[in-house]
Amino acid sequence: MRHPFYLGYGLLLLSLCGLAEYRGWSFLSVNEVKNIPKSMRDNPGAYRSHYGYYARHVGGK
Amino acid sequence: MSAPHPPHVKALNCPSCGAPLTIHGMQHTLTVVCANCLSVLDAKDPNLQVLQKFEAQQRIQPLIPLGTRGKVRGDTYEVIGFQVRGIEVDSIIYTWAEYLLFNPYKGFRYLTEYQGHWNDVTVLRTLPEVSALGARPVAKYLGETYKHFQTAEAETRYVLGEFPWQVRVGEKVTAMDFVSPPRMLSSETTAAETTWSLGEYIPGARVWEAFKLPGKAPSPVGIFENQPSPYKGSPKHVWVIFLILLAALFVVAQVTNALSAKQVVLQGHYSFTPGSTGPPSVVTPTFELKGRPCDVEFAIRTDLTNNWAYFHFTLMNTDAGEASEFGREVSYYSGSDSDGSWTEGGPTDDVLIPTVPAGHYYLLIEPEMDATAAPMNYSIELRRDVPAMSYFWIAALLLLIPPIFTTFRSITFESRRWGESDYAPSSD
Repeated sequence: MRHPFYLGYGLLLLSLCGLAEYRGWSFLSVNEVKNIPKSMRDNPGAYRSHYGYYARHVGGK
Repeated sequence: MSAPHPPHVKALNCPSCGAPLTIHGMQHTLTVVCANCLSVLDAKDPNLQVLQKFEAQQRIQPLIPLGTRGKVRGDTYEVIGFQVRGIEVDSIIYTWAEYLLFNPYKGFRYLTEYQGHWNDVTVLRTLPEVSALGARPVAKYLGETYKHFQTAEAETRYVLGEFPWQVRVGEKVTAMDFVSPPRMLSSETTAAETTWSLGEYIPGARVWEAFKLPGKAPSPVGIFENQPSPYKGSPKHVWVIFLILLAALFVVAQVTNALSAKQVVLQGHYSFTPGSTGPPSVVTPTFELKGRPCDVEFAIRTDLTNNWAYFHFTLMNTDAGEASEFGREVSYYSGSDSDGSWTEGGPTDDVLIPTVPAGHYYLLIEPEMDATAAPMNYSIELRRDVPAMSYFWIAALLLLIPPIFTTFRSITFESRRWGESDYAPSSD
């Protein structure tokens, strides 16, 4: 078989695509926060420290 | 049948300087060159008449010394003659070396060398058929078509050893080369005759091995006119593999799309009034994600027009006490100017959250808008296990790299080959 490296490279890409689909990979980066108390539902956003609140968005044109 | 030992070697002395001479080519030798005084002698004359005495700016040592024997295509040949010939192109002289090989039973053949590129050359006994195909002549020989490469006037610039013709330094012929790698056809035309020869490109290492020469063959410089391309046939094969892999990629995409659950786990319609005194955030009802960890698609639909909104999402996992936070901006502007109508952005957005494990969740939505903006209605829909087709597009693009690269290398190789020909882009 000619070009075995290209064939291997292609099969690797195919495998990675299948794995990415199965594992649900995405390019989006999310901020993970752990150890949030269960009572948080009644006081949303309170788990964030007073000074650690996410930056305000300045959008628009 | 080969004969490693020629039966007769004639010993003579140069009439010009007295240096000893030997003739290995027997009755075939017409001229012999004295390596000591560079006199070209008539080998058929009993007194070895001096036909020419030439001056050389420097003595040239053949890479294969005269008298060396080696096996070429199974027969033993002896190097009996050596000449350097050259052509002048744009006031630059390009020279190459020719080694005359002799086997008393097989006759003569040649090895030519130009900057580390070697050819095994034999004189043809039947004539090729030359015709003009458009602006470029072609030669046909034994069913193979050779493209014209170059026509130039070649001049003999240095000779050593013995030759079966009346060799002279300064002798000029019109040389035409036709190529069909790894072979080439060459014609040499004088006022009296035209001689055709067939050359086949051979690696220098094979010459070194055949003649058991010390050291290693000089590395070839550049690309020779009939040098076989290492990429010959490669682009076609690589493109075939690409099409096969692309088809396989399409199948994998279809299968994963068919197997994806695309299950709606949350839907909600909300509104947001900037600057209102009420709570800006929305907390959704709890919903459950089942099955393996997989992606979750957020679909945001708004009625924004010429405005923007920023959504800060917090996806709370109530089982694990963990949250995933991220933000998305949705903006949509439209209008018209001298170029016509235009739009920018859009009122919707879709995003995939990676690898969300099973569990109970609720969503915290915190929109932001300009304080003076009009109220916005929006809806959020969450679906789990949604196929991300972007991977397949990226994979298809990555699959394209090797065939494009191989094709580019192949084209570059041929461009460099023909860049030295009469058909180079810069040639007149």
